[in-house]
Amino acid sequence: MLRMEIALFLILAFVAVVYFSAGRKHTTLHKTFSLLLIAMLVHLAFDGATIYTVNHLDTVPLVWNDLLHRFFIGTMVLIVYLFYQYIAILVEEETGKPRRLDLAAKIYLAAAELGAMLLPVHYAVTEQGNYSDGIHASLCYVSVAFYLLLCAGLLLRNWAQIHRKKKFSIGAALVIEIFGAILQGLHHTWLISGMGLTLMTLAFYLTLENPDILRAELTEQKMSMLYLKSQVNPHFLYNTLDTIRIQAQLNDDKPVADLLMRLVDFFRLSVKVDRQMVALDDELELLEAYMELMCYRYPELVCSYDIDPNLGGVLVPNFILQPIVENSLLHGLKNKGYRGQVQITAQKSNRHKNRMEIQVIDTGSGFAEGTKEAIDQMLLHYARQAPKLEGNSIGILNVQKRIKLLCGRDCGLWYTENPAGGVTAHLLLPLNEEEGT
Amino acid sequence: MKKLRVLLVDDEIIIREGFKHLFDWEAHDCEVVGEAADGMEALAQIDVLRPDLVIMDINIPIMSGLKVIQLSRIKHPQIAYVIVSGYDDFSYCQQALRLQITDYILKPVNYEEFGTCIDNLKISLFEQRVSSAEEPTVQEERVITGITRYLQAHLAEEVSLAVLAEEFHLNPQYISQLFKSEIGVGFLAYLTNIRMEKAKKLLVSTSLSVAEIAQQAGYGDYRVFSKVFKKTEGITPSQYRREFFEGAEQNGGST
Repeated sequence: MLRMEIALFLILAFVAVVYFSAGRKHTTLHKTFSLLLIAMLVHLAFDGATIYTVNHLDTVPLVWNDLLHRFFIGTMVLIVYLFYQYIAILVEEETGKPRRLDLAAKIYLAAAELGAMLLPVHYAVTEQGNYSDGIHASLCYVSVAFYLLLCAGLLLRNWAQIHRKKKFSIGAALVIEIFGAILQGLHHTWLISGMGLTLMTLAFYLTLENPDILRAELTEQKMSMLYLKSQVNPHFLYNTLDTIRIQAQLNDDKPVADLLMRLVDFFRLSVKVDRQMVALDDELELLEAYMELMCYRYPELVCSYDIDPNLGGVLVPNFILQPIVENSLLHGLKNKGYRGQVQITAQKSNRHKNRMEIQVIDTGSGFAEGTKEAIDQMLLHYARQAPKLEGNSIGILNVQKRIKLLCGRDCGLWYTENPAGGVTAHLLLPLNEEEGT
Repeated sequence: MKKLRVLLVDDEIIIREGFKHLFDWEAHDCEVVGEAADGMEALAQIDVLRPDLVIMDINIPIMSGLKVIQLSRIKHPQIAYVIVSGYDDFSYCQQALRLQITDYILKPVNYEEFGTCIDNLKISLFEQRVSSAEEPTVQEERVITGITRYLQAHLAEEVSLAVLAEEFHLNPQYISQLFKSEIGVGFLAYLTNIRMEKAKKLLVSTSLSVAEIAQQAGYGDYRVFSKVFKKTEGITPSQYRREFFEGAEQNGGST
C-alpha cells in the first residue's frame, strides 16, 4: 500500500508543479485550491508514513506512531474542510448567495483538530495488516461524513443555479469520495482514504482548475480590457466634436469652428478603413486634414502639394501617406522645432512604365548616424520583420508591407537623403485607375 | 416663388441652433417655422405647421426619423425631407431612398454648402409642380417648363444660356431671371443638378463605364465630371456605384 501512496504523492506533486507554474487569477477560489493541493501533499506524506509505522508497531516507538497518526488524521480533517470551503465558494460564486454554514464548518474544524491531537490512538492488529481504530480513527469518518453532507446539501439545494459543467464535476468528486470512504469503512486494511482524497482533488483539477481553462480565463479578461479600451465609439467622438464646432461657430469663432471641422474630417476619414484601396484624392483629403491641423499647431510648419491632377483617381492602398508624413514630422521636423517644410508630390514615374511616384520631402534634421542603414535594411527585408506592436518604425514598416502585398513586389517605399538636408520618402505605386478610363 | 417653410428636427439643441443661425435661410428664400427634438414632437409639429421642408435627424428619441417620415408621408405626401445623419452608413441611405426623401446629407454639416441641398430641393419641387399640374396657364410657367424639357432632352449636348436663347428666341438674361423666379435657383445650378441626377440614375441602373456616363450626362471630360460629382455627392462616381450595390447586398437584396 505504501507504493500506492508514493505514486499518488508523485502524481499530485506533478499536478501541483503544473498548477503553480501556470498563470491564473488570484481569486479566493483558486487560493483555496492551492491550499488544498499543499494540504494534500502533506497529508499523503503522513499517510505513507503511517502506513509504514502502523505495520511496524514493534520496531517504531509508539510515540512516533501516535504523533504521525495525529497529523495524518489532522490533515485529513483539514482537507475535507477545504473541500467544503472550495465547493461553498464555488456555489457562492455561481448563485450569489452568501455562505451561511461557514461558522459551523470552522467550529467543527477546530473541535475535530483538537480531537485529532488529544484523543487516544488505538491500533488494531490483524493478519491482513494493522490499522488504527477506536475513537481517534472514527474521528475521520465523522469529519468526512460531516463535510460531505454539507457539500451534498449545498450542491442539491442550488442544483438548478449552478453551471452544468461545475455541478457535475462537484457531484462526481463527491461520489468518488463517498465511495472511497465507504470502502475504507468496510475494509479497514485497504487504507485507501488517501486514494479517495487524491481522486477528488484530481477531479477538481481536471475539470475546474485546469491550467488551460485558467489561462483562457485570464486571456479573456485581458482581452476584454483591451476591447473596452478600444471601444470609444467613433460616432460619439465626432458627433461631440461636431456639436462643439457648431457652438464655436454660433459664438462667431470661425477659426475654432474650422479647426474642429478638420478634426472631424480627419476622424471620419480615418475610421473608414473598410476599404483596402482608395482613390489618391481620398488619401490626400485625409492627409490634408491632418496637415492643416498640424500646421495650425505649429505655425512655422509649411506644407505644399504638387500633385499631377490626372492622378487623382489612381487607386492606392488605404492610409499610406499619413503615416509617412507623420514620420517625417516626428523624426525630422520635430528636432528643428517644427520649423520647416513638407512637400508632397505625385507624378508619373519616368523610370518605370505604368507607375507613379509619390514623394514626401522634408527639410528636417535628416537621419541620425546609422539610422539610414537600419531603416534601409528594415524596408528591404520587410517580410522577415517580426510583427511589432509599438516602436518608431511600425508605421513605415506597415506601409511597406501593405504596398508589397496589395501592389506587387516591384512597388514599395524607400528613403533618400536630400543634399540640402532632410529626407525624402519615395513611394512607387501602380497606375491603376478607377474604372472609367 | 413663395418662401419655403422649414421644420428642424434634431435631438441636440446646439445642432438646431446651428441650422437656424449659421445658414442664410433668408438668402435662399426659406424660413424656419418650427423645431422638434424627438419623433413624437416632430409628428405633432408636422401636423400643426404643415412645413414645406423637414430637416430630419435619423437617430432621435422615441421614434426614429425614418419612422416619422414613413408615418407623416401618409397624411402629408407633399412635404419634402432632407435627412441629416451622423451615421456614415449607406444602409440608412438606402432605406431613406426608398422613402423618397429629397436629399441625404452627412454630419458634419457644412453650412456654406448646405445651399446646394436647398437648390436641389427647389428643383425637385419644381419638377413635381410640372408633372402634377395640367398645362400651365401662366406665360412664364409655360416658358420655363419648355426650357427644362429641352434641357432634359439635350443633356448630353453642350447647352448654355446662349444656346437656349437661340432655341427659344429669348434674351439670355431673361432666361436666367426666369430660372431664379420660377425655380428659385440659377441656370448653372439647375443644369448641374439634372446632370448629376441623370448620372446617378445611370450609375445604378446600367453597367456603363463612368466615362460613358460622363458623356451622357453632358461632360466631355470624365475627370471634370468626377470632380463635380465628388463635390455634390461627397464621393466619386465609382464609389457611389460600389456603395449602392454593397448596400443592396447587405440588405439581402430586399426590395
